[in-house]
Amino acid sequence: MRISDRRFALYLMAPAALFLAVFVAYPLFRLVADSLFKISPIAGAPRDFVGLDNYVRAFASEAFMGAGWRTLAYTFVVVALEFALGLGMALLFTALGRKSEVWRTVFLYPLMIAPIVAGLLWKFLMIDNFGLIGTLLHQAGILQNPNQIGWLSDPGIVLFSVAVPDIWLTTSFMCLVLFAGLQNIPGDLIEAARLDGAKAPTLLFSIILPLLRPVIAVALVVRGIDAARAFDTILIQTNGGPQSASETMSLLIYRTMIRFGDPGLASAMGTIYLLAMLGVAFFAVATIWRPGKDN
Amino acid sequence: MSTADTPINDRFAAEAVAYRPRHAGVVSAILATGTKTSGATAGAAPTGAMPAEPAMPTPAASGTGRPRRRNHHAEGLEAGKRTTRILLWIVLAAAMVLYGFPFLYLLFTSFKTPIDTIAVPPTILPKEWTLENYANALGRNGVLASFINSAQTAVISTLLSLVLAVPAAYGITRYKTPSGRVFIMAALVTRMVPPVAIGIPLASMMATAGLADTPIALSIAHTTISLPLSIWLMSSFFEAVPNDLEEAATVDGCSRLGALWRVVIPVVSGGIAVTAIFAFLASWNEFLFALLMTAIRSQTTPVVIANFQTQFGLDWGSMTALAAVYSIPVILLTLLLQRKIVAGMTLGAVKG
Repeated sequence: MRISDRRFALYLMAPAALFLAVFVAYPLFRLVADSLFKISPIAGAPRDFVGLDNYVRAFASEAFMGAGWRTLAYTFVVVALEFALGLGMALLFTALGRKSEVWRTVFLYPLMIAPIVAGLLWKFLMIDNFGLIGTLLHQAGILQNPNQIGWLSDPGIVLFSVAVPDIWLTTSFMCLVLFAGLQNIPGDLIEAARLDGAKAPTLLFSIILPLLRPVIAVALVVRGIDAARAFDTILIQTNGGPQSASETMSLLIYRTMIRFGDPGLASAMGTIYLLAMLGVAFFAVATIWRPGKDN
Repeated sequence: MSTADTPINDRFAAEAVAYRPRHAGVVSAILATGTKTSGATAGAAPTGAMPAEPAMPTPAASGTGRPRRRNHHAEGLEAGKRTTRILLWIVLAAAMVLYGFPFLYLLFTSFKTPIDTIAVPPTILPKEWTLENYANALGRNGVLASFINSAQTAVISTLLSLVLAVPAAYGITRYKTPSGRVFIMAALVTRMVPPVAIGIPLASMMATAGLADTPIALSIAHTTISLPLSIWLMSSFFEAVPNDLEEAATVDGCSRLGALWRVVIPVVSGGIAVTAIFAFLASWNEFLFALLMTAIRSQTTPVVIANFQTQFGLDWGSMTALAAVYSIPVILLTLLLQRKIVAGMTLGAVKG
């Protein structure tokens, strides 16, 4: 007997759906459930139902609100710089045409590097005393002494320093996506604009960027969501310090859970963080992607 | 670079054509690349550089065939003037040096003597080249085991992702049922979940199941990351396969499952290779789940690298050596397979 197409499709999707239900949806359910309890970190200790108390504590805590703002600032800096650099490189590769293809490939290499390795590498470059960046800037006469800027030890700038490896790792991705978009801009259009006497800035702001809008939107959303979840690079560079100045949401939740042994509070923070991310995701999907309608 | 020999030039030209479907959205452009890739790989092995396609017209072929013009024949956004092009090449060279330097510095440092790695002021090149750091790093307890763990975890996770994602993506794209639409949205939303939010509950579930500190548990965790991406990638690849293909097969007496297995899967083998690479990389480079879910037995190399800085003080030399050993194979592998990866990466961005 032949089963209906609809049922056949369901059977094909069932294993993956089951997997995601068990290993993503259920842990999320556990997270939300845990957020309603006061939990002792000692295994087997009693759990007390406290209702929304953990949420009240989260919103009342300076660490949580601080981490929220830092996550926003971090995400903004990472995505903005990546976009500017990625667009610059994409335009450069486009202007040079297919002879730059080899270099376009080489330019992708940071994408294959583990974030943990990138974090370590940049920590090594920016670290006080034997960090190379301070030394090179000193030798170039820009800094009076190699340790003048405490890239990773000055609370005022550390949030931007820890963003560097993230930017370095994924500017290639931005470049790649924008490059693909640039290839679809009709050449006739550019030539026509050039014949009309359009200069480079006009070309960029009145023609290229508006035409790239959908691609830009997708690239920004994908990267924004990843940057807001950044963990590895920051943990390895500063562990959130000094004085929590580089503690973003992922780190705060991790530390609340593991170091400070408060799974209930950490779960509440995680739930709020998750809802914020999903809110952004839904908004982005509804306004930009509209999957299934792109044909 | 401008004097590249002809076969390579041809390959670039073919690629340039594939990248240049005019008046089309990104999605279709990339789908064109995807189709071409999968079509061409149907017969060949899914690895290695793509063969040049002689049938492909190469309208932009300059250099070898025609007499050289003073000004490069530019079209669209390509720079035309010779001086502009030279200037842009210089800018590109500077950008490549800056962008490539950090990793080169990591390599140079790994060949320094342990004392030189933290010399003040630091030097770029080693004063004395030595393999001491490599011997130290690889000789350390648990390091080689961590490589095996990393490889094991990544392979299991990749296979699991493919086994689950390929049929699911096929079900979504071929039958377009409402449940399929809901499912692909759900998969997309899964991509937004911060790993830190599910890491701890997942770890305790694995412990309950008796899988604590095993590569299986970690590869399941990694699959929660790679599965949604794999479903999205595979959906795009299936989307590019014409329906007639398996209709013809079913008319010839194939069952739907048989048509999928014998007709469709071979056609999308290129896409499966791309998806596999992404799933592998996601697991190979993952750190947070590995940190939460592994102890001694199943520790992967990223965790070992991170532990170097606490456990053994600041042993930068060994750390750079280990980081180099861990990164270079995947960099080489992916550079070799770059055409597929570029197609997949752009697809992934556009689709999920």
